[in-house]
Amino acid sequence: MSGESRAGDMNMATETEIFRLDGVTKRYGDVLALDGVSLTAGANEYISLLGPSGSGKTTILRVLAGFEMPDMGRVHFQGRDITALPAHERGIGFVFQNFALFPHLTVAQNVAFGLTHGAAPLPQSDRDARCRAMIAMVGLDGLQDRGVDQISGGQRQRVALARTLVMQPRLVLLDEPLGALDANLRGRMRNELRSIREQMGVTFLHVTGSETEALAMGDRVVVLDSGRIIQTGTPDQVYDAPASPEVAHFLNRFNLFDGTLSGGTFTGPFGTVPVRAARKAARDVYAVRYDRVQVKPALAAHDGPALRAKFVASEYLGSSIMNFFETPDHQVLEVEHHLSLGAPDTFEPRQDYLLTWNPEQAIVFGRETA
Amino acid sequence: MMADATPTPRISSTTLWLLAPGVIWMVLFLVLPILMIVYVSFWTQTTFNISPTPTLASWKQFFASDTYTGSLWTTVRIWLIILGLTFVIGYPTALYVGLFVKSKTLSTVLLVICVIPFWTSFLIRVLAWRPMLGKEGAINIILQKLRIISQPIEVLLFTELSVIIGMTQIYVVFMVGPVAFMLGRIDRNIIEAARDLGAGFGRIFWKIIFPLSLPGVVVGAIFVSVMVLGEFATSGALSGRKVNLLGNIIVTQVGSLKWAMASVVGVILTVFMGVVIAGFLRIVDLKREL
Repeated sequence: MSGESRAGDMNMATETEIFRLDGVTKRYGDVLALDGVSLTAGANEYISLLGPSGSGKTTILRVLAGFEMPDMGRVHFQGRDITALPAHERGIGFVFQNFALFPHLTVAQNVAFGLTHGAAPLPQSDRDARCRAMIAMVGLDGLQDRGVDQISGGQRQRVALARTLVMQPRLVLLDEPLGALDANLRGRMRNELRSIREQMGVTFLHVTGSETEALAMGDRVVVLDSGRIIQTGTPDQVYDAPASPEVAHFLNRFNLFDGTLSGGTFTGPFGTVPVRAARKAARDVYAVRYDRVQVKPALAAHDGPALRAKFVASEYLGSSIMNFFETPDHQVLEVEHHLSLGAPDTFEPRQDYLLTWNPEQAIVFGRETA
Repeated sequence: MMADATPTPRISSTTLWLLAPGVIWMVLFLVLPILMIVYVSFWTQTTFNISPTPTLASWKQFFASDTYTGSLWTTVRIWLIILGLTFVIGYPTALYVGLFVKSKTLSTVLLVICVIPFWTSFLIRVLAWRPMLGKEGAINIILQKLRIISQPIEVLLFTELSVIIGMTQIYVVFMVGPVAFMLGRIDRNIIEAARDLGAGFGRIFWKIIFPLSLPGVVVGAIFVSVMVLGEFATSGALSGRKVNLLGNIIVTQVGSLKWAMASVVGVILTVFMGVVIAGFLRIVDLKREL
């Protein structure tokens, strides 16, 4: 009953905007966790929040949920300023990294907690029906009466999700929800998270430290570093056109070279190459994707950028092989070979090879934009 | 050795050797003495002598005398009051130390402060209440100096009240410790999760925090109960002989060599404690919780 009326209020409010952070700043002692973060999310959107540990991504969730007060800035939710609203009056779902299930309650009692003890308790029959439907939806039928210490990690993840979603929130915050699962389960839960979200039509804000997870899950990827948002875009925008050397580094798909950009040429350890376009950045960096690098015999003829490096080791990744090379100045370069493009070359350990690439495919960051 | 080849399932000799000292100790100094007390309670007591002729005389005497049954009820009453007070005072303290104080260091410091009174001897802690509560004691002097009262409050010392004050002060820490320990183990995310699901503080306390701390309450209640039920020193020192607990009866009876009656009271006290502990242990499954 209250769920429907809440959904009704929703339509009255702005239709596209679910939440908006305006210049949110949060400090823990001397540490600046969030530095003027502004972010807007629409209804029915899947946003991945990507960043290294300590970048402030969990703090964004905690500020949104109301567990932390921002030192500066405002938080809006469904068109309302909720900066000062206590957490239990916000109606924003939160899925914890360690699931945070109530250890003394059964699966069914965990799922029913919010509807029983929340702001607007439902009558028993409505509550039971909604909980049963939710438990079935996340595939926990038959486990209702188990204690939460008697089920597996993946099942606990589902309980945590069901407990939050049964409240029918318009926004769910997920704090590294797949971090505690093994790789196999992680893959399966990714699909389920997406399909559950599509069924419910809610906005997910998913925090993750894994670039593959962020790119795979999000309709939109927000990259965070040192408490600032450094890029926002669709997964392919972020992947193909990282906005800064930090994003490129964090995506873990690029070999990065320091050097100097001047007058339309970039001078790095691979020689001097002409640059057609450069992105504005605080330092001069030349980035080449792992799978764009070609390996040639050490004495092969070449034109364009080329770099001599010793082969160190290779790693088999199933669909591709990652080869590691070491340059004379001890930088490790990675070269990815997709197995669909043919059998891999084999390289001799400690032997010199020539690494080269098409300069058109490189991404250049610089203080001057050519 | 070779002849004894059939493999018989048996406890390894190491296990037996490791168990032996504890078992021997407990049998010699716990099981046998208790059996002895039960046995002696049926002996025949004369004024200056005791003989092992079995009789129910001491038991009948206990239940026929208002003094003895009265002291049984006094013991139960004082025990319940102290249990209630240590819970009412101890739980909020533990809640603060174990849950609200975020820094682990600070909560350890606070717990140590709770334990500091135990660096002095038990009797000194009890007797220190006399200069505090007496007719010319600290509390009366201060209240009179502040002109809050004109006549000293006499009910403070050598009454049941002084016994209750003294015992509560001594035993409250045994409630604070276990409860604070259990509260400290609660994952803070669980409380945040409950808040996120819309529960206010009252709901979170009664549905999450209190149930999860219940094992601590039970352990604390067992500590307090065992110690209060066996008490005789505090009531002896602070009641002016007005409050006679079962413990005081035992001391007096042993003092006047009435071994049979002392044994009767001892058996009653032991059985009562056993029932109380068994009752508390039914509330939670401690093996699972700790």
